[in-house]
Amino acid sequence: MVNILYIEDDKEIGEWVYESLKEHGFNITWFQSGEGIEKQLSKTDLVILDVMLPGLDGFSIGKRIKKARDIPILMLSARTAIDDKVEGLSFADDYLTKPFHMEELLARIEVLLRRYNKHEKVLQLKHLTIHMKDMLIINNETSEEIQLTGKQYQIFQYFLRHLNQILTKEQLYEGVWGEPYIEGDKTLMVHIRYLREKIEKDPANPEIIETIRGIGYRVRK
Amino acid sequence: MKFFKSLQAKYMLIVITALFFVYILFLATSIAVFNINGHEELETAKIEREWHREANAIENPSMITELFEHWTNRYPDASMFWINEKGRLTAHHNLKEDYPPIWDASYTAKFIKERYDNDPFTVIAFVGEEQKHGFLVYEIPRDKLEQDYVETNSQFLSISVPLGIILFIFVSYLFFRKIRKRLVNLQDAMEIRDNDGLPIAIPVKKEDEIGSLEHAFNHMVAELRKSRKREQEEEQLRKELIANLSHDIRTPLTKIRAHSYTLQKETLSEQAQESIKNMNESINKMDTLIENLMSYTLLHANKFEFKSEDVDVVRLLRTSIASWYPLFEKNGFEIDVQLEQFKEKEWNIDPIWMERIFDNLFQNVIRHAADGKYIGLRTESTDEYDALIIADRGKGMNASSTEKGAGIGLAIVDMMIKTMNLDWKIDSTNNGTTIKILRYKSFEKAV
Repeated sequence: MVNILYIEDDKEIGEWVYESLKEHGFNITWFQSGEGIEKQLSKTDLVILDVMLPGLDGFSIGKRIKKARDIPILMLSARTAIDDKVEGLSFADDYLTKPFHMEELLARIEVLLRRYNKHEKVLQLKHLTIHMKDMLIINNETSEEIQLTGKQYQIFQYFLRHLNQILTKEQLYEGVWGEPYIEGDKTLMVHIRYLREKIEKDPANPEIIETIRGIGYRVRK
Repeated sequence: MKFFKSLQAKYMLIVITALFFVYILFLATSIAVFNINGHEELETAKIEREWHREANAIENPSMITELFEHWTNRYPDASMFWINEKGRLTAHHNLKEDYPPIWDASYTAKFIKERYDNDPFTVIAFVGEEQKHGFLVYEIPRDKLEQDYVETNSQFLSISVPLGIILFIFVSYLFFRKIRKRLVNLQDAMEIRDNDGLPIAIPVKKEDEIGSLEHAFNHMVAELRKSRKREQEEEQLRKELIANLSHDIRTPLTKIRAHSYTLQKETLSEQAQESIKNMNESINKMDTLIENLMSYTLLHANKFEFKSEDVDVVRLLRTSIASWYPLFEKNGFEIDVQLEQFKEKEWNIDPIWMERIFDNLFQNVIRHAADGKYIGLRTESTDEYDALIIADRGKGMNASSTEKGAGIGLAIVDMMIKTMNLDWKIDSTNNGTTIKILRYKSFEKAV
């Protein structure tokens, strides 16, 4: 079970988030200030942190947590100024402003857990079963393992880490190759074509790696 | 300020020196020449004295011949002769002129008058102690003698005066050049700007008028900094005030949302469900409104930080629509993206502002043009401009939805676009709205 540490001083909002996350199967511990959280940290998978807190503010607490342990931190604040977001994102992994929709909070928690590999060890994607830890890809229909080359593997992993997000060509290229994308470069397209040939049932009508016309690609759960 | 340190004092010194300069030169030269030459007896005086002494010492005529020989050794160019008590030219040596053999009183007087302080230099001395044996005349052209003091002095003056004047002009030139140089340096120093756009203090080297000008300037710089600091503090205060205000409004909004969420899970009548839905929409609207109001206030007071850089704008738009895609998709929109790279792909803009503009425009499409179920993104390039086009098929802005509040969002877009030296055009009909964000290729157009 995923352990979430939640720090929020407002009782009404705190209760709402606490109850909702519990309902969604998270093991949540709620603190009303940063006091006493140290003992919790070692068994925490993700931190949700308010900014305006009694005593130490959320930014300071967040920085301390990050220093102690590299766990995902999601700032949840009614402070929406760009300065605040910039400061928050200097250490936190995400910044969600109040008032928020519970669905959005849940979605962002999912993304963070996935990014930190704290989540599902096994991912079901259409006809594929993917064991995240060792990136073992099994075709459910043939029960055979699908072997990817280095670059295909990197691209696919990048998609999985950004599940449900639309990735532009530039983002993908720069994320995988680590160098600036040059307009008109076909390398990425070629790699994706080969990748599709390996993982798609029908590479001509891809279901796993969707093409978003004019924008990029997406892998959806 | 000490008077003697001042430029005025220096200037007065130069003027006074100028007024008396020639006199001072004369005086100084004369003193100098006198000190070098003047202490020694002049040759003429020496000749005169010795001639008189030796003439007086003569006791018999044979001594006169000896005297002549003895003097000829010393002065080969000199002429000497003896006029005896009877006025007869008795003995002579090395005569240059024809003198009459007999000298009467009138000729003697004429000779003396002629030779007095003239050339040749002439000394007349009586012979013997009693002066009864006529007189001895010694004459020598002056140019054979050592020059006398006055001549030497005037020679020195002809050199020292022009030299002195040139020196004086040079010193004055140096004086004014130095002042000029300091003023130019001062001007340059005043034009230097620090990172924050303020001038920086100047080191004061001299305590004169320019020095006090520099002091005054430094004082002004300090005041400027102080007022800038005050301004920044006020700005910070304002920002915090607005941030806190928006925070304080958002917190209860979040609570309302929390409660509506909890309520939603109860079994409710259709009407109650509907009112919860409306409540949520109102929360959204209010959230946007607070955000926009905050931005608008900051923008309007020029307190919104603007950091421009070269940005690949098409890429920015693509990334932006990528993050909005799921929402459009969820609302059943047709998403038509046809973005071509511009020739000049980088625009000098603030990427955060530009994203904000896109967000505002996309939000408007979802809020006010959801009926059209269409969003199109295109690029357009002409000789005059490059443009990003965002089109929808809603009912247009005039007729548009019952929801108001798009105004402030668009006002923000307008302000941001104008600040970034871009332009935009809205074409809104009942069949849809097309918004073009334009960047003119020639600078004049943009102005």
